[in-house]
Amino acid sequence: MPETRRVVITGLGAVSSVGIGADAFAAAIREGRNGTAEITSFDASGFPFRMAGEVRDFDPRAILRRVDPERWGRSGQLAAAASRLALEDSGLDPESVSHGRSGVIMGTTSGEATVSSVLGEQWVSGRMKDFAARVVAQAPASQISAAVSTELALGGDTQTIPTACSASNYALGHAFDLVRTGEADLMFAGGADAVNRFTHAGFHALGALAPDVCRPFDRNRAGILTGEGGVSLLLEPLDSAVARGARVYAEILGYGVNCDAKHMVHPDPGSIAACIRDAHASAGITPDQVDYVCAHGTGTPTNDATEVQAVREVFGERVPPISSIKSMIGHTMGAASGFGAVVCCKALYDGFLPPTANVDEVDPALGPDLDVVPGRGRDADPRIVQNHGFAFGGNNVITILGRPS
Amino acid sequence: MTVLATGPDTADRPALPAAVPLAITSVGVVSAAGLGLESLGGLLASGGIGHAAPVGDDAEDYPPLGVRSVEGFRLRDHVGRKGTRNLDRLTGFGLVAAKLALAGAPGTEGTDRTGVVVTTSTGSTQSLMDLAGDTLLQERPYLVNPSRFPNTVLNCCAGQIAIWNGLRGANVTLAAGQASGMNAFRHARMVLSLGRADRLVVGGVEELSAPLAWGWHASGTLADGTPIGEGAAAFVVTTSEAARADGAEIAAEVLGVEVGFHPASRGDRAGAVAEHVRRALDRSGAAPGDVTEISPGSTGLVGVERPELRGISLALGGTPPVRDVTRAVGQCYSAAGAMQVAGLLAAWRNEPSERPRLALVTAVGHDGNIGALVLREGGGS
Repeated sequence: MPETRRVVITGLGAVSSVGIGADAFAAAIREGRNGTAEITSFDASGFPFRMAGEVRDFDPRAILRRVDPERWGRSGQLAAAASRLALEDSGLDPESVSHGRSGVIMGTTSGEATVSSVLGEQWVSGRMKDFAARVVAQAPASQISAAVSTELALGGDTQTIPTACSASNYALGHAFDLVRTGEADLMFAGGADAVNRFTHAGFHALGALAPDVCRPFDRNRAGILTGEGGVSLLLEPLDSAVARGARVYAEILGYGVNCDAKHMVHPDPGSIAACIRDAHASAGITPDQVDYVCAHGTGTPTNDATEVQAVREVFGERVPPISSIKSMIGHTMGAASGFGAVVCCKALYDGFLPPTANVDEVDPALGPDLDVVPGRGRDADPRIVQNHGFAFGGNNVITILGRPS
Repeated sequence: MTVLATGPDTADRPALPAAVPLAITSVGVVSAAGLGLESLGGLLASGGIGHAAPVGDDAEDYPPLGVRSVEGFRLRDHVGRKGTRNLDRLTGFGLVAAKLALAGAPGTEGTDRTGVVVTTSTGSTQSLMDLAGDTLLQERPYLVNPSRFPNTVLNCCAGQIAIWNGLRGANVTLAAGQASGMNAFRHARMVLSLGRADRLVVGGVEELSAPLAWGWHASGTLADGTPIGEGAAAFVVTTSEAARADGAEIAAEVLGVEVGFHPASRGDRAGAVAEHVRRALDRSGAAPGDVTEISPGSTGLVGVERPELRGISLALGGTPPVRDVTRAVGQCYSAAGAMQVAGLLAAWRNEPSERPRLALVTAVGHDGNIGALVLREGGGS
């Protein structure tokens, strides 16, 4: 194995339904504020369940400097805006990141789904001759990371990772590998997805949508709410961060990745437990060192039961506090574990545990003494935290972040 | 403002060490030439073209455009009927290419240490359009088929390859436009060299449909006469060190792979291509004169074909013979890189050479993606 360097997170960017900018986002999460409401971005009147976590006040022109929003899909705009915010947050000279060893890895579930929706509507109504070159060019999922590299004038690795709902955790892990091996000197990692009719219809058909709010771990949890957003974290070597006197939110200690290889949509507890163990081994830690778990926590009966079962299998008697921010922003799909990573960074740096909102009664079927940090965030002093992401296709990725020493 | 994103800034940084070489030990291909590497090799040797008409229920709905399609493909003929009813054509191509590749690499199945890297652009366009029809045209917008909805999620193909073959290692779907193939091999090198998996099935897959063809038609990016294509190519890949330790037969080694981003707005795209080629050669321990042939990926794409060839020529001081696959199997976009590599392997197998050949495989996308990969024939070094 090649010699590697330590990698830290020094910039955070979030465009979310509860706030734009990592500070606004994290403050809202800490308060337990709900960002979900009736859908307005498409006509949802025919759906029995119409709630989602939309980013209502996103004005791309207020944030983006090089990217012309007319030429990019909503996911790309969200990713580019979040990355611009992460760069500003890092204190780096914005022009200093323009070189061949700066890049971006962005996760997504549905790619440019709002673009596909436009083309899909034209196609099914027989108006394919209305396909516009400008719109077609926005459709490939690769345009999400391309939007970031265009906005920030990055010259290196530019990959979109469409591995569904664990995608931004994988993006974070892969960017970590690129920086620690010296293949890259600076990477943005995160994810983006947009609320859209296709995804909403699909999750409805799977019976996975909640009627009103998302209540992870609750006895009466009924499912997910679809959500959206863009999230980005800036990674650089510890040495360069220290040399420039950067604010270091967290060190990436390691990550685990595996695949259930069993079923496209049903999670597997044994496989998730194996992934947690891989993540611990990668980070060189033992379960007792983990102070908090940022859960995948979708709020479906199956996910939460499976996830808690896997966590108990690894942690045994002492299960760390475990909470789900999806209770507040819904399931932001490919961005979900990126938002989890941002809130983990803030938890480590500011000293708190993020809450699970909307919990009336923790499901007794999940076992005794489960601390889901109900309601509002709690002041605390976490040193090592664990961030979960699970996905369709059985793609599990778990990242481990630590307070910088 | 001038932004030299791949210029002097990078040259000023310390050079990176030689790339850890990767071994391709087995290949599976589904293309307009038919199934398998032999079909592709035969077609390339004959100078012919693959099946040049649309296939499927929507064949009549295509715009006037050259196509290279996979004729008579039925997934159940290759993997049995069970469990295939809800799978789409794109996933079918991926499953068959992976099956063919894995058949040539015994001992790979059912393991925690084998993973998957598949490139895509939008997943299956046909499945997306089917979903669009369900949610937009039916009386109730939520009456979509729950068994088919997962087909529209972009990692469906990679997930199904894992499920059908019991591959429990890292399962990655990757999109980098025209340069996806180079990104996939670079990605694979990172995963393998850090020991996150022992072995990977690396590949690319695209499917043609009438709506996709209309998308190409509207894009204005195809030069006159450039055919669009479909299919999949999959490779079983390990580090060369591991392949040698296993005594595996090595079809080719992937040496340097450099990728980056340089849109037209930054100017001098040929210069950026040249720099990627130079870096890939440096990290392969190869000199420009060692390159025996090239496989450019942007053949027939307006605006990027010329900077690609000019960049190669700048870096190599000339243009070695071109090994083109686009004319035979069509422009396969996110699967183009995989087809380029498969085309070289097919041609090499078909025309043995005394000395191992060294190919430069490149791509340039309209969006700014650039990739350069050095492929050395066989396992001798």
